Amino acid sequence: MMTEKEDMKTKKGFKLRTVCGENIIVAEGIENVDFSRIISMNETSAYLWKNIQGIDFDENTLAGLLLEEYEVDEATARSDAKALVEKWLEAGIIE
Amino acid sequence: MSQDDSTIVKQLPNEEFLPQVVALINEGHTITLPLRGRSMRPFLEDNRDNALLKAVDKPEVGDAVLAELWKGHFVLHRIISIEGNKVTLRGDGNLNSDPECTLADIRAKAIGFYRKGSDRLDSTNGRKWRIYSWWWTRLYPIRRYLLFALYPHIPYWLKVESGKRKENRL
Repeated sequence: MMTEKEDMKTKKGFKLRTVCGENIIVAEGIENVDFSRIISMNETSAYLWKNIQGIDFDENTLAGLLLEEYEVDEATARSDAKALVEKWLEAGIIE
Repeated sequence: MSQDDSTIVKQLPNEEFLPQVVALINEGHTITLPLRGRSMRPFLEDNRDNALLKAVDKPEVGDAVLAELWKGHFVLHRIISIEGNKVTLRGDGNLNSDPECTLADIRAKAIGFYRKGSDRLDSTNGRKWRIYSWWWTRLYPIRRYLLFALYPHIPYWLKVESGKRKENRL
């Protein structure tokens, strides 16, 4: 049965690395690590990314994580989660 | 996350970033590394091209290698001679700096380049690089004139002395 919001996953081949104190998503194969097209993440984004590895998630998952970790009201958590999902889809790191 | 929808260039300081790159290379990875600087002109250009780096067992004359000249200071240059343990490097775009290092200072070899935004690798085993290398290294006696012809610009020191010269974009 099709639901309107399908579960998403992080795409394979993108790894979060800490480089020079920054959270950087690097495109990585089994062998090659590509620093030519990196995606910089702030602390919040990196925290969420780490916590959705290997699982199916949706905006509610992210909002839930935000509410657990940060002092933020539900409306803000939901809108931040939505905005982040859009950014991640645009960056091509989730599907 | 990037602040807006456009891409910005993120600069990481070499002395912190490249040791991490070297560590990954020593773990057996290959690295796609964006290149800065003009030292490998004319084949490679500042802020435009990427190198594909891999660990190297036995560097050879003619190889483009990543060398750590002193702690935290890295260059990507061509090897022009190896005498025992002593390696002399010279960037293709350089005239008379020729830094030296030891074999142990060679951290990686460039096995190819992604140039001008292309996804296609110009392999260092391929014809393009080999033919270019053959010519360019042999033309060293006139390199000064070739570089000037390819990249005409008034040197900074000349610009400063003559106040009337127009600002030159390098």
